[in-house]
Amino acid sequence: MKIIVPIKQILDPQGLTFRRDKERMFVNVEEYIIGPASKAAIEAALRLKGEDDQVLALSVGPPRADDALREALALGCDAAYLLTDDAFQEPNISATVRILAAAIEKLGGANLVITGHQSGDTAAGQVGPRLAEALGYAQVTDVCALQAADGELQATRRWDDGFVALRALLPAVVTVAPEAFPPRYAPGARIMNAYREWEVTIWGMDDLGLTEGDLTPRLAFRGESFPPPLEVGEEFRGDPETVAQEVVTALRLQKLIG
Amino acid sequence: MDFSFLDDWEEGAGPAEEEVGEGYRNIWVLAQLSAAGTPLPATLEALGQARQIADQIGVYVYGLLLGHDVQAAGEALVPYGADRVLVAEDPALAEYQPEVYVQVLADLIDHYRPEIVLLPGTSLGNDLAPRLAERLDTGLLSHCVRLDLDMSERLLLGTFPVLGGEMFHSAACPEARPQLATLQPGYFPLPYEDSYRSGDIQTVEIDLTGVEGRLTWLEGDGDFDLPPTPLPKARVVVGAGRGLGDAEGFALAEQLAQALGGVVTGSRGAFDEGWIDEEQIVGVGGQTIAPELYVACGLSGDIYHTFGLQPAGFVVAINTDAEAPIMKIANMAVVGDAREIMAAMVQALA
Repeated sequence: MKIIVPIKQILDPQGLTFRRDKERMFVNVEEYIIGPASKAAIEAALRLKGEDDQVLALSVGPPRADDALREALALGCDAAYLLTDDAFQEPNISATVRILAAAIEKLGGANLVITGHQSGDTAAGQVGPRLAEALGYAQVTDVCALQAADGELQATRRWDDGFVALRALLPAVVTVAPEAFPPRYAPGARIMNAYREWEVTIWGMDDLGLTEGDLTPRLAFRGESFPPPLEVGEEFRGDPETVAQEVVTALRLQKLIG
Repeated sequence: MDFSFLDDWEEGAGPAEEEVGEGYRNIWVLAQLSAAGTPLPATLEALGQARQIADQIGVYVYGLLLGHDVQAAGEALVPYGADRVLVAEDPALAEYQPEVYVQVLADLIDHYRPEIVLLPGTSLGNDLAPRLAERLDTGLLSHCVRLDLDMSERLLLGTFPVLGGEMFHSAACPEARPQLATLQPGYFPLPYEDSYRSGDIQTVEIDLTGVEGRLTWLEGDGDFDLPPTPLPKARVVVGAGRGLGDAEGFALAEQLAQALGGVVTGSRGAFDEGWIDEEQIVGVGGQTIAPELYVACGLSGDIYHTFGLQPAGFVVAINTDAEAPIMKIANMAVVGDAREIMAAMVQALA
């Protein structure tokens, strides 16, 4: 079975501070990591990988995404492809999907494409289903448990407030929920090899047969905003029932609980 | 003066009659039904938004129903703002199949050319909308928590959370049509029911040749449980302190955590009492947590404990002592007996 895993390198949220009162985001430490959802996708693929199976990692991004792909190799992927070009500088969803689809077709298609359900930064949750449409594959999103054999997969996915089980015919695109596939650690020897021995293949526009016209964004950015600052130190007293109800109502209004 | 143009105007009073196949007009809402066959709240929220936008730009609101034996539910969309309901009936639409639904919607959109299509941001909507957007080669504003209208360009503006909800981005789809958006459930008001509204229900012809669903929905959830959330990643955390008194008080903290959908932890004091394991201690030498909601119960919140609290999102502290340090960093400082208030909260959440 051939499993292709598109991954996304994101700015590590640990290094960010958000100031609601100043309406600004501060980047304290600019460090890039494989997003948690992408890492879960690698984990899901590696768990399915048998002896005759191949797991290939792809990433669309600037040259620094090389690091993410080497980490994917260290974790256990068999090959890695960096899809980068000066023309890919401004990432947008439609272009990302076209680039990934072109690369997957160049690789001769896949039995299974596994990717993150929602990235850790933009969290649009669009690449998986759009890629399924572009490739003409079946799709299953927000998957928490996954098995595949004999041209069919069986998955448990989140469905509103619960879980449902379903089967899908391969080839398929599966998007995984990060909390369901806690990632493994890379063995030391593989980390050394990933940086010293193994190669990350680089493909640009020409290699993928794409033109500038394929990269036109469909959405235009129109600004950013912040949630209102929280009031600190409001005091509540009174009889337990009334106070408890006030707290619960406030939490519901803040959307902290369902 | 010649007033004959008024005669024409009389005929076309109200929004102009839609012209099939020419230009993009009107707002569509994909309706999703509950198992009982009534529209889901997320559907009604989307209808309410569609109605508001339609009134501003002078177009009609269409409800769209896909399924088998769903004709009756069409009537239920009219009181909430639909002017017309298109019903696509077929046994093949009884259960959700992404490819089949995309085919039906894409054909209808090609034919009627709506300007805006809103989908509920349920699991179904989030699975379907991006695939539909790719088929139509248009943009999708996903997980919107606010919708606005840019009247100067007649564009839909969607605002959606990014970076774990710490901030929002707004975007529009300036060129491609239709403009697609999914609406995060629970973020928009439910529209008022106006039982005097009228609208017509229309069954549409659909063509399902050459498309077949590739999913088989199974019974049950495949015996699946999510792995337990590691403490540092939990969204909701209830912290227990020595002020809870005894194991019975701690059991209340566990009940509260369950009711809030979170996990329970505590200070070193709670560990000393034998209520929590060593791995559950938050503070110096223990875990560091960064939840969106932290409920500290019977906890004084000395520096050894708050050291393990990353600037948490929202802190509720329940303590008899109004001067306890935890009260100074709490968004809601509740003064009173933690056990009584926790029990009342569990009741209120049930």
